[in-house]
Amino acid sequence: MKTCRYESQIDKYLLGKLDASGSAEFEEHYFNCGSCFAKLTERDEVIGVLKRNKSVFVAEERPVIEARKAAWLDRATAFFTPRQWVLAGAAAALLVAVLTVTPLFRNAPPVFVLNGEDTVRGSSLTLISPVIDIGSVPAYFEWRSLGADMEYQVSIYNGKLLWKTTTRDSRLSLPDNVKALMIAGNKYSWQVKAFSPQGTLIAVSSRVQFTINH
Amino acid sequence: MTENKTGVDLDELVLKYRPVVSFRVRKALGGATPDWEDVADEIITQVIEKVRKGEFRGESSIGTFIYTITSRRIVDHIREKTKILRHAPEPAPFPDPGEMVEAQERAARISEAVKGLKPKFREVLYLYYYKELPREEVAKQLGIPPRRVSERVNYALKLIKKDMKR
Repeated sequence: MKTCRYESQIDKYLLGKLDASGSAEFEEHYFNCGSCFAKLTERDEVIGVLKRNKSVFVAEERPVIEARKAAWLDRATAFFTPRQWVLAGAAAALLVAVLTVTPLFRNAPPVFVLNGEDTVRGSSLTLISPVIDIGSVPAYFEWRSLGADMEYQVSIYNGKLLWKTTTRDSRLSLPDNVKALMIAGNKYSWQVKAFSPQGTLIAVSSRVQFTINH
Repeated sequence: MTENKTGVDLDELVLKYRPVVSFRVRKALGGATPDWEDVADEIITQVIEKVRKGEFRGESSIGTFIYTITSRRIVDHIREKTKILRHAPEPAPFPDPGEMVEAQERAARISEAVKGLKPKFREVLYLYYYKELPREEVAKQLGIPPRRVSERVNYALKLIKKDMKR
């Protein structure tokens, strides 16, 4: 909407802040500008009421003083115009709504079930030997003990499971029939799982590779 | 429709300019001055006569023509009054009761509208209109930029106007 350039003079005129020539110029203008005259009479009525009726501000005197204390808040709110604050608020509300509602439409969280590869506690199971390439078929397999009454499940692989057994020691000698299956020059790996006396899986070692050299 | 030889519609002229002339006279003489309405009527009559006599030749706008007559008549009236007041006291105003009731109702509605404003709008009206502080001083007191003062004043006036229309 186009506004008249004299509109800014309305308050100054009504509050007597224009000099004589400024007043005369503005008076001549509102004799010729219906829009300015309409605004002038409206404003005059409001200012007249405000001037005569201080009671509308009674609750004001205190906030005006308090406003100085809360000047930082005003400066913060002055950063945006009211319309911009409304838009920012709407955007924030939309974001909150999206973040709140979206999880409701997600798939149900997965149910974690322990299988043979999972551990209940974070105990680590360290393999001691063999962990590097060796010159002949290993006579035994050894790992760090996790305490008494533990049962260990030892698995040896050559791409697929070659042999699996359980023991309560932390050292295992290979039977001859298994040794016979292990051929020089081939690559093997082994892994140990520890179980509590109640049969709960406690720890799983990493799968370590070794090669039997010629 | 009453027209003269210059083509000015006098009925329309009176309808349009009586409020403007009245406002200017009331502003100059003060609303409490009892004869401001008489002065305004005299001015309108004078304008009509001058237009009928062809004194308005269209060299300026009709608004400027009426403004000039109004200003001169106000000055004359003040001069006359100054002479009279040396000898006799000003009579007490005798306002129209109907107009007074209407004005009071409107004033009450404006007051209610102002009271219903948020404190930040009331305080800016208080400092700017009641205390008549300059915009920059209001801005300083409220800790906001000067342009924000103007925005708040204008917005408060819009809200009052909107409330008045309900």
